[in-house]
Amino acid sequence: MKPHRRKKLGIILFIAAGLSVAVGFTAFALKQNINMFYTPTQVAEGEVGVGLHFRIGGMVKTGTVLGASDSLKVNFVTTDFVSDVPIQYEGILPDLFREGQGIVAEGEMDAAGVFQASRVLAKHDENFMSPEVKAALDASGATADNHMPGGEN
Amino acid sequence: MWVWFSKLGSPKWFYELSGKWLPWLIAAMVIFMTIGLVWGLVFLPPDYQQGFTSRILIVHVAVAGTSLAFFPLMLVAGTITLVWRMKLADMVAKHAAILGAWFSFITLATGSLWGSVMWGTWWEWTDSRLVSMLFQLFLLLGVISLRSALEDSETAAKACALLSIVGCINVVIIKYSVEWWNTLHQVASPVSLDPSSPNGPQFWIATLIMIVAVYLFLSVSLILSTRNEILERERRSQWVQDLVLKN
Repeated sequence: MKPHRRKKLGIILFIAAGLSVAVGFTAFALKQNINMFYTPTQVAEGEVGVGLHFRIGGMVKTGTVLGASDSLKVNFVTTDFVSDVPIQYEGILPDLFREGQGIVAEGEMDAAGVFQASRVLAKHDENFMSPEVKAALDASGATADNHMPGGEN
Repeated sequence: MWVWFSKLGSPKWFYELSGKWLPWLIAAMVIFMTIGLVWGLVFLPPDYQQGFTSRILIVHVAVAGTSLAFFPLMLVAGTITLVWRMKLADMVAKHAAILGAWFSFITLATGSLWGSVMWGTWWEWTDSRLVSMLFQLFLLLGVISLRSALEDSETAAKACALLSIVGCINVVIIKYSVEWWNTLHQVASPVSLDPSSPNGPQFWIATLIMIVAVYLFLSVSLILSTRNEILERERRSQWVQDLVLKN
């Protein structure tokens, strides 16, 4: 390689490396701002300021979904299997909403410690399977159920 | 190796070689695309939760995965343009940006369609996967506009090459956004060889065929548009004029 080309290549590599480091640090510094939601444990530990509008993400705890018979009001508990947060919502739920399913709710904490959601979204996990496979897994007692959304955060 | 490398930079050599490859690539593309689409959209088993809506993802996953190849491609082409000043690299980069913008758009559109049914929303500004993908579309539109804004083609080539190299970092962000941050978008599905476990072969083989089909489509489109560009830019050269007279 000719020296002037080597020099140019060096400059390009230097720019690319410098930029990667800069973006890496920025992303790390903005970690919580870029997260879409808080987990119930983060909420329980008081990481979210009082009176803030925020999003919470977790699983719908099995056996906690209570719908009103005369309105679209629904109460359920969301969990990350460490902490629970009760949620109240009035509106149409997405198709995928069900017990044991990951959800993201947007709203505010009220004085009683109930999360008043203005929006509920269903989170789909990375598992795809046919109804037959799901039935076979359930029959054998294997828990192929959803993982906790968001991971260790 | 250097001889081969500098040969590749010759538009005439590329034009002749790609002319020989094209029929085979097109044939392979048609075969894979047909199998992939028919299998994916007609015969793929329903998902236990989503039913048949999961079939949208056959197209979405293949196009989205392929759309991440454009910036690395433009990184290589841009580096060659800046260091070795090969004209061919810049011609490829020009059309890669245009194709890449289309791929990004289709990724966003199919994803939105699926999301509107399954998530209950077609767009979330707070999801880093979604936003970084939109950013890729804007970056590519930026590269395209930058080229058309600069009148001198050599300056345009250099500027676009530099923006492509810088923009490459976004691919890493798109790829790892679902792991670094909480998102509504799922993490990448692991593949399983066992047909009786989640993500078994009955789902991913069709996706794999579709990915190969989309890569072939990308290659064919890029070669076709680059050949066009070669003829346009080299129209004053002897070999192009001979070619025109011959036909």
